[in-house]
Amino acid sequence: MNETAVRLSGVTKSFGAHTAVSDFDLDVPRGTILGLLGPNGSGKTTTIRMIMAILLPDAGSVELLGGPPDMKRRGRVGYLPEERGVYPKMKVIEQLVFLGELRGLARRDAERRAAGWLDRLGLEDWAAKKVQDLSKGMQQKVQFIGTILHDPDLLILDEPFSGLDPINQDVLESIVREERERGKTILFSTHLMEQAERLCERVCMISRSRKVLDGDLRELKRRERTGAMAVEFEGDPDWLYRAGLVDAEKVNGAWHIPPGRISHHELLGAAMREGVNLRRFELLEPRLHEIFVRHAGEESTEPALQPKGGAR
Amino acid sequence: MRQVWVVLRREYLERVRTKGFIIGTIALPLFMIGIMGLNIFIAVQASDSDRELALVDFTASIGEEVAGRLDGLGYDVEVMGPDVSLEELDRQVIDDELEAYLVLDDRTLSEGVFAYHGQDSPGITRVALFESAVNDVALESYLATIGTGEELRSLIEGGRLEFESVVEVEDQAEAEAARMSGMAFGFGGAFFLYMATLLYGAFVLRSVLDEKRNRVVEVVISSVTPWRLLLGKVLGVGSMGLTQMGIWAASAGILLLVAAPMIAAQIPNADLELFTQVLPGPGALVLLIVFFLLGYFLYASLFAAVGAMCATEEEAGHAQFPVIMLLIIPLILQSATLGGGTMPWMDWVALFPFFSPIMMFPRALQGAVPWWMTGLSLVFMAGAVVGTSWVAGRIYRVGILMQGKRPTLRELVRWVKEA
Repeated sequence: MNETAVRLSGVTKSFGAHTAVSDFDLDVPRGTILGLLGPNGSGKTTTIRMIMAILLPDAGSVELLGGPPDMKRRGRVGYLPEERGVYPKMKVIEQLVFLGELRGLARRDAERRAAGWLDRLGLEDWAAKKVQDLSKGMQQKVQFIGTILHDPDLLILDEPFSGLDPINQDVLESIVREERERGKTILFSTHLMEQAERLCERVCMISRSRKVLDGDLRELKRRERTGAMAVEFEGDPDWLYRAGLVDAEKVNGAWHIPPGRISHHELLGAAMREGVNLRRFELLEPRLHEIFVRHAGEESTEPALQPKGGAR
Repeated sequence: MRQVWVVLRREYLERVRTKGFIIGTIALPLFMIGIMGLNIFIAVQASDSDRELALVDFTASIGEEVAGRLDGLGYDVEVMGPDVSLEELDRQVIDDELEAYLVLDDRTLSEGVFAYHGQDSPGITRVALFESAVNDVALESYLATIGTGEELRSLIEGGRLEFESVVEVEDQAEAEAARMSGMAFGFGGAFFLYMATLLYGAFVLRSVLDEKRNRVVEVVISSVTPWRLLLGKVLGVGSMGLTQMGIWAASAGILLLVAAPMIAAQIPNADLELFTQVLPGPGALVLLIVFFLLGYFLYASLFAAVGAMCATEEEAGHAQFPVIMLLIIPLILQSATLGGGTMPWMDWVALFPFFSPIMMFPRALQGAVPWWMTGLSLVFMAGAVVGTSWVAGRIYRVGILMQGKRPTLRELVRWVKEA
């Protein structure tokens, strides 16, 4: 078995004069949760649509589950598009069974699984209702069930959490983690850095149609350490001043030491010499948001200025 | 194929279960049967309570004859001689013992004028019925007095064209009847094909547009090829159409079975035998279904392409115009032939696949074109179905995932090339 679930090499896509995705490389190893991060309009959805062969790249190649993204391979993917789509007049259960059957499940099997998922997401009382009678959030959960119903090897979720309340976000997150435990691969896009920080093992950051950086989240954070530290201790902070750290700042009971003043060996050495009772010592890691800003040079929550990548 | 079936079933069930379908398919014929039943009921009621009329005859000749005619119209008529008291009759009318009385006199014989004595003036229908009854009898009695027979009567009533075929035909009358029936059913069939193609084509357009507008197509298309989706959709709507037409045909059949004897009873002289002889047989029905199916597939793919390239219903309304024109032009051409006269070049126009259902079907039914021409048009249509679905399928493929404005013709050509 190929170890890569998705591989993009040199993928480029333009819509008229606007380049939506430019020379994009990405490897998604199997069995990981990868977050595709970037502000609105940075090219996340276009990238995902190319993985699903909804759009064809102008240049470069897309590999899905070890080969070209043909119908057979796409059948093993659970795809949740950014634009939520449901048949408003169908009953919830019928809609799910339809999607399941379309992906090769037997009718009985599809019914059983759909009922199970509806139960799990607290929608069991709504199974016989028309989709249009459900709230937006419930419709979204129904669509998520449709995505996962046929037990796909790879989940591709475009902004899966937007529009959900925190409780349902948690439910969805836990399902994503479970699927990961079962050996599935999850690729999802988000513009919420905090969520990515909680959920992802790997991240790939996009800004202005280009990949900024990608890799293992923990490794990335380690690499992106600036040398900033935090210490908590008993007693007064005179020893910090004596070590020349006059701009140390107290944040939530811990003293934060800005980067570039002193190495952590020196700080720990000073604490030992002074006989300070240390309670906590931490090499501070930057938040994803900071990393993003540092590399992309733009605010991650900046609203889209470019047109959406919808038109060909 | 299973996927096509899954799409087909969804499309079919979702349509057949809607209120619109149930109302349109079941309620409509029921309603018509109901109206017809009501009519019959009223007619029976009316004849039950025969209205009583008196007829005062001063002519001493046509009284009984007029009474006989009015009897046939459902009136209970008592004929009275000139010695009756008109005051007494007036009293009876006022006391509602009598509805009204008619007075026939010399002027009736010479001019067809007669008097109606009643509380209210009779309605338009009764005026016409009474006038024609009295006039007919007066005319006949006049013709009898001057000794002319049927010839003059026929001349007065208007001439009649008798068709003489210059080609050898075994039974002139039957051939003529068959031709008339072919004409009537041919044009009826053509109009039906026009309506059905437009109706179910619009369903396909709407279905494509809805899926595109509520974005569900992006999910569906990730697990089924556009071709299969389109095929399932067209087949699903087509099955719905056949179901609907089946129900209609069945109710029409029942209606005919029930109503035909009643109609026959109303027209005593109708030649039922000839009527049944010239009714189109099962062959015509099969031909109609074949033309419907081919025409539907031909136009459904066009309508699907239109739906795929539009974003709103309004836009689709404009964009479907060329397709609808393709349907209207043959209908206009076909109507032109109703006026009579043959235009041999039209038989060749009828070979154009998009015109064939509306133009070739009636020709085939009337026997106006040789059979091989009908066959050729079917072959052309089948070929056109393949070609059109190829082009329309490509437009559909690109169009359904496209948001934003409608493509220009040049972009469309690119879609077809690139897809």
